[in-house]
Amino acid sequence: MTSPEPDFDVIVVGGGPAGAVAAHQLATAGLSVVLIERGETPGSKNLSGGVLYGRVLDQVFPGFAQEAPVERRITRHVTTFLTPDSAVSLDYRGGPLADPVNAVTVLRAKLDPWLVERAEEAGAFVMPGVRVDELLREPGPHGRPQVVGVRAGDDELRARVVVAADGVNSFLARSIGLRPQPPEHHLAVGVKAVVRLPREAVEDRFGVSGDDGAAHAIVGDCTHGIGGGGFLYTNTDSLSVGVVLRLDDLLRSGRTAIEVFEDYLDHPGLAPYLRGGEIAEYGSHLVAEGGLAMVGDVHTDGLVVVGEAAGLTINSGLTVRGMDLAVGSALAAATGVAEAIAAGDVSRDGLAAYRRHLDESFVMADMRTYAKAPAFLERTGMYGAYGELAADLFRDVFSLDTTPRRHLAKVALGAFKRSPVTVRQLVSDGWAGVRAL
Amino acid sequence: MKIVVAYKWAPNPQDLEVRPDGTVDAGRAKPAVSEYDPVAFELARRLADATGGEVVGLTVGPAAIDTPLARKAALSRGLDRLVVVADDALVGADSTRLAVVLAAAVRGIGDVDVVLTGDSSIDVAEGQVPLTLAGHLGWLGLARVAAVEAADGGLVVERDLPAGVSVLHVAGPVVLAATADAVVPRVAGMKDILAAAKKPVEALALAALDVPAPGTALTTLATARPSQGERRRVVLEGPTAVADLVAALDLAGAR
Repeated sequence: MTSPEPDFDVIVVGGGPAGAVAAHQLATAGLSVVLIERGETPGSKNLSGGVLYGRVLDQVFPGFAQEAPVERRITRHVTTFLTPDSAVSLDYRGGPLADPVNAVTVLRAKLDPWLVERAEEAGAFVMPGVRVDELLREPGPHGRPQVVGVRAGDDELRARVVVAADGVNSFLARSIGLRPQPPEHHLAVGVKAVVRLPREAVEDRFGVSGDDGAAHAIVGDCTHGIGGGGFLYTNTDSLSVGVVLRLDDLLRSGRTAIEVFEDYLDHPGLAPYLRGGEIAEYGSHLVAEGGLAMVGDVHTDGLVVVGEAAGLTINSGLTVRGMDLAVGSALAAATGVAEAIAAGDVSRDGLAAYRRHLDESFVMADMRTYAKAPAFLERTGMYGAYGELAADLFRDVFSLDTTPRRHLAKVALGAFKRSPVTVRQLVSDGWAGVRAL
Repeated sequence: MKIVVAYKWAPNPQDLEVRPDGTVDAGRAKPAVSEYDPVAFELARRLADATGGEVVGLTVGPAAIDTPLARKAALSRGLDRLVVVADDALVGADSTRLAVVLAAAVRGIGDVDVVLTGDSSIDVAEGQVPLTLAGHLGWLGLARVAAVEAADGGLVVERDLPAGVSVLHVAGPVVLAATADAVVPRVAGMKDILAAAKKPVEALALAALDVPAPGTALTTLATARPSQGERRRVVLEGPTAVADLVAALDLAGAR
C-alpha cells in the first residue's frame, strides 16, 4: 500500500454523548483519537436537553451524577392524557428511582462540554469549530471502498477508523450509502423550549424538593391528533417543554409545528406549570422515531456509526430514550474498534466486532423489546380517543351531581359506550400495548 | 519583525441573552476569541509572512482564560506562539488595568516592533485598551487602521477616518487598532488546529510582571440600555417613497 500513514488511529465526528464517550473509551484504551465537533464549543449546537437514563453513564464515570452538571434526579414520573379541556394523569413517585441514580435531567449545553473534557483528559485531541464535509474513501484490501479519513475545507485527516456520531439523519453514513434517508414516518420533528422559572416555583409546582425532579409524558390532545406526544421535565431552575410530532402526520394535518406547540403551551392542563416563566431557548430538532426498524447497517469498511446516527432511539410512549442508548453504543463501538485495530483488520469483517458487542448489549436488547412500540403508537386511538375516554370516565367519577353514585365498573362502561373506541379496538390495542411495551 | 497580537478571551455574543428590561446576561455565554480580534490575527500573520517575522499572541485576564480550548482557539489563527497572563486578581479589571498588564507583558516579551489589536472588545466595547496600552508603552498609537504593510524600514498604515482615508508612514514601535472590516480573517482548518497544539505557550505570572498598583478606585453604580430614541411613526408609500425617504432623512439631519 502506498497510502500515507494515518494521522490518528480513530477520528470521531460529533461531540455529543455518543462521540464524547467513544473518544473517551478509545483514548483510555491507548489509541490516538481526534474528536471533531462542528460547534465552537461542544453542546453549542445542541438544543435544550432532556432525560438521561444514567446507569450506563455511571459505569463509565462512576458517581457521574455528583460530578457532572446534571439538573435534577427524576423521582416522579407522570403520564398525562389530555383532551381539549381536561387532563388525566398517572403519577408514579418512588425513592427507589433515586438510588442508584436512574434518570436525571440534563441541559446538553452543560453536559456535552463536561463529557468532552473527560475525553480530552483521557488523551483525545478535541477539535471544535470544524465541520466535516465528506468521508475520504480509497480502494480497500478487499476490493471494496474503505473509509480512510475525513475532509473539512482544504484539509484532510486520515485514520484507521472513523466513528460517525453526527446525530439523527447522519450525513456521513448517508453520504456513502450505508444508511438510507429515513422515510417520513420514521422521523418526527421535536419543538422544544427551555422556560426559566425560579427554583422554588419549579419545586412547588412539581411537588419535588432538593435535587429531585419530575418528568411528565403527555399524550392525547396535546398534538391535535397528530402522531406524537409532549413532554415536560424539571431542570434546576427551568423547565424543558416540547412536543414530538410525526413528520408525515404533521404534513397531512396542514398545521405548522409551531402552531401545535403554542396551543400545547396554552393547554389548561399545562399552562399552570409554565405560568410566569420566561422562554430562554427555543428551537426544533429532527428525532428518529422508527425504533428497531431504523437500525440497519451500523458498520462498513473503516467506519462505524453510533448513537442517534445509528437510529438508536426508543419512544415507548412513556419514556423517550436516546442518550443512554448513545452511550451504550459508544461503549460497544469503542470495544469493537479497539479489537479491530489490535487485530489489524478494520474492514467490514473486523469492525463486525462492534455489531456483536452492540447486539449483546442492553441497547439492542431494549431496541428488540420495544420493537413494536412505534407501530403501537401509530394506532391513532393512542393520540385521541383514549384521552377522551379516560377524561370521560374521571368526570363521571368526580362530578358529584345529585344522581346516585354508580359502581366504578358501570361508570367505566358508560364512558366507554359514549366513546368512539370499540371493544375490538380496545382489546386489540391493549394486547398490542402489552406486547410492544 | 516581532509582532504581538493582543486579544481578549470574551463571551461569544451568540450566547448572550437580552433580558426584557434591556440588560444583557452573559452568564450562560461560552467564551471565544473576541469577535473583532481575528482581524488583528490576520493582519499580523500577513505582515509577518511578508517580512519573515514572528507573531506572538498575548492575552490577559482571569484564570479561566487559560484552558486547552482557549489556547488552541488562539494558536490556530496564525500565531507562532502564545503568552498568557491568567490570574484571578484580574477578575473585573477595568480597561486601564488590562492595558497596564498588557504593556508589562509586551515589555516582558521584549524587542516588539508592532502590537496589533481589534477595534474594541465584544463584551465591554469601550475601545480604550489599544491607546491606553500605547500610552503605557510610551509608543505611538493609531486606531481605525484599515491596512498595514512593511515599507522603507517601517510601516505604511492606512487609516479609515470620518474625513477620509489617510496613509501614513511610521518608523519605530507602534500600537495599531484595526477596524472590524479591515480584512477577512481566515477560518482555522483541521491542520491549523492540530499544529496549534504543538506551538509553545508561555504562562507569565502576574506577580512577576512590573505592574504598578492601581491608583484609582472604580465602581460601576448602574447600567441601563441605551436610549432607543423617539419613533417618528412616518410611513412613506407610493412611487415617490424613496425620494420622500431621502428628503425626510435630510430634514432629520440623518444623512
